[in-house]
Amino acid sequence: MPRTDMTRRDFLKRSALVGCGALVASQLDFAHGLIARVEAGELTQFEAYQLMQAENSLYSVCLNCNTGCGIKVKIMDGVAVKIDGSPYNPFTLHPHLDMKTDLKVGAKQDGAICPKGQAGHQGAYDPYRITRVMKRAGKRGENKWQSIPFDQAISEIVNGGILFNHVSGEENRKIIGLKALYAIKDVKVLEEMGKDVASLRKKKTADEKQKAIAEFKVKHAANLDKLIDPEHPDFGPKNNQFVYWWGRKKGGRSDFSKRFYDVFGTVNTHGHTTVCQGSLYFASKAMSEQYVGDTFKDGQKFYWQPDQENSEYILFVGSNLFDGNYGPPNRTPRMTQRLVDGKLKITVIDPRFTKLASKASRWVPIKPGADAAFAMGMTRWILENKRYNAPYLAAANKAAAAVNKDTTWSNGSWLVKLDDKGKPGTFLRAHEIGLKEKETRKDKDGKEFNFEYLVTMQNGKPVAFDPNDDKSAVTGELFVTAELRDKDGKAVKVKSGLQIMKETADEKTIAQYAEICGIEAKVIEEVAKEFTSHGRKACVDVHRGPAQHTNGFYNISALMNLNLLLGNYDWKGGMIVASTFNTDGTKNDSQPFNLGKLKPKGGKQFGLSVIRHDAKFEESTLFKDKSSYPAKRNWWPLSSDVYEEILPSMADAYPYGAKVVFSYMGAPSYSLPAGQTQIEALINLDNIPLYFASDITIGSTTMYADYIFPDLHYLERWEMQGSHPNMPVKVQPVRQPVIASPNEVVTVFGEQQPISYETVWLALAEKLGLAGFGKDGFAKGQDLSRPDDFYIRMVANIAYDGKEPVPDASDAEVDIFLKARKHLPKNVFDADRWQAIAGPSWKKVVYLLNRGGRFDSQEASYKGDHVANKWGKQINLYQEKTAKCKDAFTGKSYHGMARYVPIADVLDREPVEQSKGYDLHLITQRDVRMTKSRTIANQYLTDSMPENGIVIHTSDAKKLGLKTGDKVKVLSSTNPEGAWDLKNGRKKTMVGSVQVTETIRPGVITFTLGHGHWSTGAEDVTIDGKVIKGDKRRAGGIHANAAMWIDPHLKNTCMIDKVGGSVSFYDTKVKLVKV
Amino acid sequence: MTDILVTMQQELEAALKRKPEERRWSMLIDLRKCVGCHACTIGCISENKLPPQLKYRPVHEYEQGQYPDVSRTFLPKPCMQCDKPPCVDICPVKGSDGATWKEEDGVAAGIVAINYDKCIGCQKCIAACPYNSRTIDKGAFHSDGTPALQKYETMAAFEYGKPLRRTKEDNPKGIARKCHFCVHRVANGMLPQCITTCIGRAGYFGDANDPKSTISQVMKANRVQLLRNGKGKKGEDLKPRVYYIANQKLEVLYAQD
Repeated sequence: MPRTDMTRRDFLKRSALVGCGALVASQLDFAHGLIARVEAGELTQFEAYQLMQAENSLYSVCLNCNTGCGIKVKIMDGVAVKIDGSPYNPFTLHPHLDMKTDLKVGAKQDGAICPKGQAGHQGAYDPYRITRVMKRAGKRGENKWQSIPFDQAISEIVNGGILFNHVSGEENRKIIGLKALYAIKDVKVLEEMGKDVASLRKKKTADEKQKAIAEFKVKHAANLDKLIDPEHPDFGPKNNQFVYWWGRKKGGRSDFSKRFYDVFGTVNTHGHTTVCQGSLYFASKAMSEQYVGDTFKDGQKFYWQPDQENSEYILFVGSNLFDGNYGPPNRTPRMTQRLVDGKLKITVIDPRFTKLASKASRWVPIKPGADAAFAMGMTRWILENKRYNAPYLAAANKAAAAVNKDTTWSNGSWLVKLDDKGKPGTFLRAHEIGLKEKETRKDKDGKEFNFEYLVTMQNGKPVAFDPNDDKSAVTGELFVTAELRDKDGKAVKVKSGLQIMKETADEKTIAQYAEICGIEAKVIEEVAKEFTSHGRKACVDVHRGPAQHTNGFYNISALMNLNLLLGNYDWKGGMIVASTFNTDGTKNDSQPFNLGKLKPKGGKQFGLSVIRHDAKFEESTLFKDKSSYPAKRNWWPLSSDVYEEILPSMADAYPYGAKVVFSYMGAPSYSLPAGQTQIEALINLDNIPLYFASDITIGSTTMYADYIFPDLHYLERWEMQGSHPNMPVKVQPVRQPVIASPNEVVTVFGEQQPISYETVWLALAEKLGLAGFGKDGFAKGQDLSRPDDFYIRMVANIAYDGKEPVPDASDAEVDIFLKARKHLPKNVFDADRWQAIAGPSWKKVVYLLNRGGRFDSQEASYKGDHVANKWGKQINLYQEKTAKCKDAFTGKSYHGMARYVPIADVLDREPVEQSKGYDLHLITQRDVRMTKSRTIANQYLTDSMPENGIVIHTSDAKKLGLKTGDKVKVLSSTNPEGAWDLKNGRKKTMVGSVQVTETIRPGVITFTLGHGHWSTGAEDVTIDGKVIKGDKRRAGGIHANAAMWIDPHLKNTCMIDKVGGSVSFYDTKVKLVKV
Repeated sequence: MTDILVTMQQELEAALKRKPEERRWSMLIDLRKCVGCHACTIGCISENKLPPQLKYRPVHEYEQGQYPDVSRTFLPKPCMQCDKPPCVDICPVKGSDGATWKEEDGVAAGIVAINYDKCIGCQKCIAACPYNSRTIDKGAFHSDGTPALQKYETMAAFEYGKPLRRTKEDNPKGIARKCHFCVHRVANGMLPQCITTCIGRAGYFGDANDPKSTISQVMKANRVQLLRNGKGKKGEDLKPRVYYIANQKLEVLYAQD
């Protein structure tokens, strides 16, 4: 301790003694800015602080949750020793530093990140990481492994054969490899077959379909052996039996794999969206479908969130953004001071009094699953009291919206046709009533398409309009019920979208809605009044809470419709969308690498996916007639990335089994409700004969793989993080290698690289001879042989997106760039190589990487009363496309208008039987210290939170004779044993500690996700005959997902939202038994 | 519009130019803005390479009321850097080269410091502190019980501006440790770690003697409290340098501990 100030000479001497020689050089530089203190005689050994120097700071992006905050990783001796927020990134400072800010200033300014981000490097330095390829040495899931050469693993996966003759029972099990699945390579054959299958699917009757199949077989006789099943050509080619799925994957890595599977030709590439908040994405997709020509299409898988830094009132529904929800570091600082100052008021609807609720002016402890009832109650009140934004809702097209300075418009005033029972179906087309004929129009590329006018009502008279017309404004009456005549004089009953909304809301009284919610009616009224008292600066923010129920799709639609009643989209303080800089070079001509063109021409894949997404049951060859209902499993015309479907569908071989399965950074067995059903599927050798995975440890799902390829930790690799809809600033954060990898270095396409996710794709491509990879993979003289070949090009593209490219890095900045990477091996960072890849863009690439991405300024994010980055399109109040889809179990049409739908299984049976004897309603929560399956490796976090607990209300605890700290087991009707069956004789009982509290709705219990692991270092594993002891801290706490209900019809999958795809996380009734 | 993290850091640079005796390093925590994320606790652990179960700045959580009229409050608790610290009074290793003292010179003026080389681990200070701000280092590592010690755990931390390495053989086992307002950062014109990683911007740091500083302004605009009313175990005035803003009296919360 410096009791007295040291001289500069003393300091340098001291530094050298403690082995910090590197400091001496930079000390001069550092001292430069501290002249004042030198003069004051204050320069002391305090300047030994190495963590504030630009040369020791590398900017990247966190991935301990999907918020993806910008990080500044501080390096000493090549080790990541500290992580803080990047001041250049708007996720950690508000507002963030302008990109022009000097790197030395940036190095000293830390931004704020959450505890998971702070502990991030412990994931990289996890003693349980695998660094070589693991091959199963025992049965699937037996935790016995052997490390094998990378090339051997690639050969075995590509060629197949008898690969597990060392495992008892598998001596003669012959496995089909990827090579055999790369069946159709001819693009023309693929396209021709695809076209014929598309027309086959449009046949109306089973007989017509059979006839088409027969014709198909004749026409394609030469290639029938390349199909999965010639009797069902709609299953597609054998290529589809390569199934690739993933958990947390962002831009860049997505593009990398897409490049592979587009050429390989499989339709089976599935994400994990439905385990998170799928029904939020797919309800928003349904709301964002655009009227193009004569139909709705181009809906986006995305959603809106509030511009919380300008909202006056936000109604948060099942959205806990101080713990999760994209996410704490970016959203919290945009709210806390405004909450204190009274500029923002919030209401929180959640059965649990969350941290967010602790800052709310009102907490509504609603019953789980009743969210749409609350929303419909509010809707009824708002319509009855005329508190909606009438001019917004009256605007039928873009031009009318512009009159109100709106950039979005709804279809509330459009007329919808009713069927003979009065059920709303499709929008009325003007030609149907002889009002205005169809037109043939031409699109941008000169291609002709059919255009049909729609109809709204003005002064009792139908008026034709084009919703995308930005010249002649058309408004319509809001509440319309009418009978029109078609061309033949037949009656056509119609209602306006808003009228349908009103009638739907009026099906129940507010008191009845309140009863469903388990609250007082006046709460709905008061919240509705508050919500409609702030103009367009009020929002409903929704997340997992309403989405992860069997009625998730309609919960979300009903809540999002409230935003439409205010017309708050694109307004400052209203609902906004994410905005990012483009990475693939397809945005403008100045971008140097158009990755859309720098690739081989792939054929269009065809066939049903194993999860039957983007497909209607009725169009498949599995559907005969009405007797085909109920389908064995669901069909998903409106959703994709249905995580819970992937493994059980393959196990059911519905529609077909897989041959080779590859998973990346996903743990469905852990993260999904009733995850034990996923384990059951994973050990199915018949329908999942070969399963390989990319992971950084032996994880809770990858422990059931046949091979595990070690991946890079997020501090060691590339990715394009993108943004989230609560972020008004246009960004593209770039994840880049900041430390070396411990993984084995292998050679692919002649290039040395540590084994990574990309290396696996590259090696498979090399072995299969896939076009578009290796030498001249992009184009002549442009190789794709290693990760940086791909990602440096993307960074260059980002640099050139937007009105102006980013500036060039100065020489001094290039110098810092190089010094900051001196610890990285050549197989990760090679300045000459990178410069050669980037070409003339090099100094812009440096400028961008020096800041961890590209970020627009705070000022540029708003224009007047609007956000600068707008949605700018139509938003559906009534969903025609949804109404045109049928339930694959009941054969009934889906509702086009949001409504309250009770919790039910896939056959629409309310779960009365499953509930008998089980009185407590189980839900889950997040704690900001844990992400679902990966943060258990971060000991700073487990030290802070060694276990989670079963949170229960005092009154329920009293009934059960429980007090805080008591251990209880969680049981349900579909898991009466209260245990995870991990197979091979291993079980893990679901036992946790009770936490008694007043801060939860009585009758509801909850636990936070992320604890109670059985893998990822939590248990012993044997590698090459040696036992690696597990760390018991990682098994701490409880993971009660296995208690969640299994659907009684599906039998091997959790309960699901059959419209929006979400899994049911919050519908199960359980009981607790003291142990 | 500027993030207070940027503003306060600019003020810090200016404050460093003032004479130590004119400055009063202080911390203010607005519980109305604390969201209980524990980033400060863990950021501090990482910054100072603290071993398991040693927290310089824990966050206490309190629940009050009966369903549905309930509240949750989060209370971060660093060392109060008392101007009259009972921990220093009771330390047997006295003298100008003692084990713990109230620093009066240089950038660290105002901080209650510990010299790890001099501390004898008698634990009297631990008992004397009414805030439980001192903890004995048990000499453990986060990777204990796993296959391998990790290099980052043994890299230098910079407490008191002195590179301090932690190895299996050489670590401050048995020594008292506590928060020091990150003086190694402050000396370099950077805010303490707990302040910079506060996602709710609940923490303020600066020179409370400068009426124009953000911390002074916020203190002036709000009713400010001291934990335990700034009293020691014998009721003596400790003159702590950590202040709080809360919607209620802190004793009500603190009584739950």
